[in-house]
Amino acid sequence: MAKAKILVVDDDPDLVRALRLRLRANQYEVTTAADGYAAIASAQKERPALIILDLGLPVGDGFVVLERLQSSDVLSGIPVIVLSARDPQANEQRALRAGAAAFFQKPADNDELMNVIRVSLGSATEAPQRAAWPS
Amino acid sequence: MDYPTTNVLLIEDNPGDADLVRLRLVEGKSAVNVNCVNRLSDGLASLTRETPTLILLDLNLPDSRGADTYRRVMEHSPNVPVVVLSGQDDEALAIKAVHQGVQDYLIKGNLSSKHLERAIQYAVERQGLLRALEISQKQQLEFKNRFLSHVSHELRTPLTCIHQYVTLLLDGLAGTMAPEQSDHLKTVLKSVNQLHAMIRDLLEATRAESGKLRIEPRCIALGELVQQAAAMLRPTAEGKKVGLEIGLDQSLPLVHADPDRVLEVLINLLDNAIKFTPPEGSVMIQASMVEADQGYVYLSVSDTGRGINPEAKSLIFERLYQDPDSIDNNRSGLGLGLFICKEIVRQHQGRIWVSSELGQGSTFSFTLPVYSLAKLLAPVITYQDHLRPDLVLVRVDLTPLSNPPRGNWKETWHECLNLLQRCVYLDKDLVLPPMGTTGATETFFVVVSTDLQRSGIMTTRIREQLERVDELKSKCTLTITTFPVEYACDNPDATLEQQVQSVAGCVTRMILTSREARKVSATKSKPASNSVKP
Repeated sequence: MAKAKILVVDDDPDLVRALRLRLRANQYEVTTAADGYAAIASAQKERPALIILDLGLPVGDGFVVLERLQSSDVLSGIPVIVLSARDPQANEQRALRAGAAAFFQKPADNDELMNVIRVSLGSATEAPQRAAWPS
Repeated sequence: MDYPTTNVLLIEDNPGDADLVRLRLVEGKSAVNVNCVNRLSDGLASLTRETPTLILLDLNLPDSRGADTYRRVMEHSPNVPVVVLSGQDDEALAIKAVHQGVQDYLIKGNLSSKHLERAIQYAVERQGLLRALEISQKQQLEFKNRFLSHVSHELRTPLTCIHQYVTLLLDGLAGTMAPEQSDHLKTVLKSVNQLHAMIRDLLEATRAESGKLRIEPRCIALGELVQQAAAMLRPTAEGKKVGLEIGLDQSLPLVHADPDRVLEVLINLLDNAIKFTPPEGSVMIQASMVEADQGYVYLSVSDTGRGINPEAKSLIFERLYQDPDSIDNNRSGLGLGLFICKEIVRQHQGRIWVSSELGQGSTFSFTLPVYSLAKLLAPVITYQDHLRPDLVLVRVDLTPLSNPPRGNWKETWHECLNLLQRCVYLDKDLVLPPMGTTGATETFFVVVSTDLQRSGIMTTRIREQLERVDELKSKCTLTITTFPVEYACDNPDATLEQQVQSVAGCVTRMILTSREARKVSATKSKPASNSVKP
């Protein structure tokens, strides 16, 4: 089976590097973008199976990216996991309404993040119950 | 120099006094409009219509006397300066009024227009200063809170990076580690987690202070939460050789509280208790009812630690309080934990307190309101002092077909609840607050004042409304089940209140039975439809 491709969008290159290492170790192919514009361009070109998206980005923040993705026929089906340092109380519902599949606040628990990635990619049955149905 | 026109509202019932004051006002140099009323109620009505520059107030009016008069005026229009008109004999009261926020008082007998004019001017000035001070204090608080929330956000970015690389190394994703190296890194990770917790507390405390700490109360069973909290802290307790016991009353009622927040409080108290208890000591978490206070469930966490100084007891729930004895041998955090606990409990309309004896240990207790179905039901199931004849409990089950990532259904369930509210007649039906979810299915209960035959109209309406939601149509199965509420009241002379109580008891049992049944039958099968007797 071909490896699923994940687009990581974050303007902190160090964090992107660490995420890339971890995702590769979990058998994913990784492509990256450092701003909102590059994120859309990369999504169109690479057609990733999933996007990990920061909210505070230069050249079009995460919400702009979400909006662009949702308004595109070909890209709106890609699950987006928001990974942001911002306050969930003010941003989680907004992100979910804008089309995100999940919201994680940085620093996120790695196991939980990997589980949600797995679930979002469609191998839902393998994922433990905890990740899919938190209390 | 031109002064803007001063609009004075004169509240004075003695026509002679009123005329005199009006005369003195008009004699002055500046332009004054006087609106004179002789009753407090007329004065308040006038204040609702328009805001004067100043109020001249006689305290003894036909419809209000003494201190009450100025209190009611100030409560109504807190930003308008008030000057009290006082007689010679009640100067003491006038002075008291000034202490309580009235700007000035004038003795009616010796009013000159110069005197009056100056008093008005000063009163207006002082009120303006006060207002400016208030605004500036508010701005300062807001700035501080914004600053703190900004800082806690900015701190997260580098912390995330550290966290990622430390876990990369620990998980062996960058090569194998020697055991000693791994040990050192675990220490780093522990500190990272501590720092993370502090940043979270900082934001929480900021929120609590600015009144933005949100709670989402549901109807919850405390037993499960207590077990959960204990399970989470058990490794910490065992690591320190501290015993951890649970004491739960057999029949605890449901409480109306936010499960995540209550868990936060319990974890915080348990964590503290374990921290301050020496090895071989023990920590006990309890939930119980108190005979004299049936409206609340009492929760407590007690330890056999060294106890708290009597002087510290009143300070311990304050922000930034740290036990002075613990700083050198323990990293005690920011001193925000108990402050956050206090705010969470307060938001639930509960109380939190500590009792302690030096050398013996401490007990932290708090209360949560019992979920009183009777109180919620009373207005809808009674009509003209009688119980409505027929009641039906409608259960709406929404079982997702696809498996969405976390959190995503929350929004949908919220929308469902709003739609349900719109389906019912608010004066005779009641949508119950959401219960804690078991498994994947979200369940809503509605008490409907109708008989079983006619309840079909309601279920059709609910189905129609809910099926309009896109996510529901494609991604959930919707099951609506109706149960007749067959309450039994043995006592024929029961008061209406007692009857409501017995209905509430019956509905509670029905809900619990139906939840239990579903837990057993698992979430995959559809529940048996239609009128199952409880």
